[in-house]
Amino acid sequence: MAITDEMILHATKELYSRALRKVPEDAKAALAQAMTTETDETARHTLELQLRSAELAEKKDRFVCSDSGVPVYFVKVGAGAELKCDFKTSIRAGYEELVDTIEPPMLKHVTNPLTLERSYHGKDMPIVSYDFESGIDYVEIICSPKALGSGRWAAMELFTFPSLEEIETYILDVAIKAGAQHCPPVVMGVGIGGTFDHCAGLAKKQTLRKIGTTNPDPALAAMEERLFRAVNALGFGPMGTGGDTTVLGVHVDYASGHGFTPVAVAFNCWINRRTSVKIWGDGRMEWGE
Amino acid sequence: MTLREHDLTLPLTEDAVRALNVGDIVYLTGEIFATAGMPTHDRLLGCLDGVEDLPFDLKGGALFHLGSLNEEGEDGALRIVYMNPTTSTRFNAHMPRLIPGLGLRATGGKGGLSAESAKAMAEAGCVYLAFLGGGAEIITAGIRRVTGIGWPEMISHYRIARIEVDRLGPLTVGIDAHGNSIYDRTTAAALDKRQAILEEMRKARGA
Ligand code: SF4
Repeated sequence: MAITDEMILHATKELYSRALRKVPEDAKAALAQAMTTETDETARHTLELQLRSAELAEKKDRFVCSDSGVPVYFVKVGAGAELKCDFKTSIRAGYEELVDTIEPPMLKHVTNPLTLERSYHGKDMPIVSYDFESGIDYVEIICSPKALGSGRWAAMELFTFPSLEEIETYILDVAIKAGAQHCPPVVMGVGIGGTFDHCAGLAKKQTLRKIGTTNPDPALAAMEERLFRAVNALGFGPMGTGGDTTVLGVHVDYASGHGFTPVAVAFNCWINRRTSVKIWGDGRMEWGE
Repeated sequence: MTLREHDLTLPLTEDAVRALNVGDIVYLTGEIFATAGMPTHDRLLGCLDGVEDLPFDLKGGALFHLGSLNEEGEDGALRIVYMNPTTSTRFNAHMPRLIPGLGLRATGGKGGLSAESAKAMAEAGCVYLAFLGGGAEIITAGIRRVTGIGWPEMISHYRIARIEVDRLGPLTVGIDAHGNSIYDRTTAAALDKRQAILEEMRKARGA
């Protein structure tokens, strides 16, 4: 028994569709928690509205936001997973089937960067990254549709032998530049080190970490706490009308590299679109957020 | 402190607009115009330059940065399936001319507009209303029906839709007609606090 094309195709379709309709539980809990600490009246009103929007979309089985983004998937293949599938072809097929059948239909956001023409399809779509992992016998796929507001404000800079102070100052400045353009309160993912591409990947993956989870590395946990306080102290607030809640979480990861140190920052907007599934060869599928 | 709420009927009078302050909550009833298109904004500027005619008379109107998915019903009428704001700052280059040029009383979307737009709004008597990004169901609930489509040859969310709304909201006044902008205020405050925040972080690092 092995993981088949049909299973991958089904997962690809279903993950995207679910991501559009449901704000993850941890994000809702974080918004509700922020309601209890937020001191600004307008900000509390916005947080309440965000929770109401999430609830309505879920109840009516509709999209939380009209910007359904572009398709982005992360595939992790377990060393023990039995495979009888062509990932690339079936993920593409799953996405194509989704855009043809999804109810309500999605808007066309896939943009050719050279002509600015928009469609459901385009070169390199869907965007998929592959990873391997030892010690597991399943395939995990995460879907995180990327929209304009949540994608546009990511940034990266390359330093040489930077101090922690330089790194953290840069991250704060990225938060200032983004202001409230990414529909706060957001999750901030930060990558430090590695190489250009690896660092961007680290930041991106950290936006997918569950809100409220503590970093197992004490030094990073302390950095996350510092940055969380710092960014919220800026006062942009939910949807930028002022307040104490600009980030719901700052998540940091690092990788060793040379002395040139990339620092990357990526965001996920308040609706925190992400869904996941674990697939086993015996046909089991475990859906998650 | 409770937030000031206004139930307003469109088209808005200059007095009604001047009575609004940043942070106020607004519900709108009447007809609005909506588009999410950059090419649409370029074309609107073209209209001011006499390149072509406006699809609608927007004088005294409310033109919002909203993207929507429309579906044609069996009777041929267009129905909005869902609607949500788009980033207004993308139109920073257009709005300072479009606000007085078209004679808008209200604009809006998400993320606000530049100080230059805020200035144009104060002069013309226009407000910026902030919609909740990711508030598709709340916003869609305020829609009654589509009463007109301008530039139908463009893709769905680029067209200009004229829409009858019933208590569309809640919307937050982000920029009022007195030159106050919540966005400029929060950005200036953040920049003011930057040094002190960096100092706090330094202390927390124990350095
Ligand atoms: S940033 Fe997120 S919530 Fe805001 S408009 Fe884009 S997808 Fe929607």
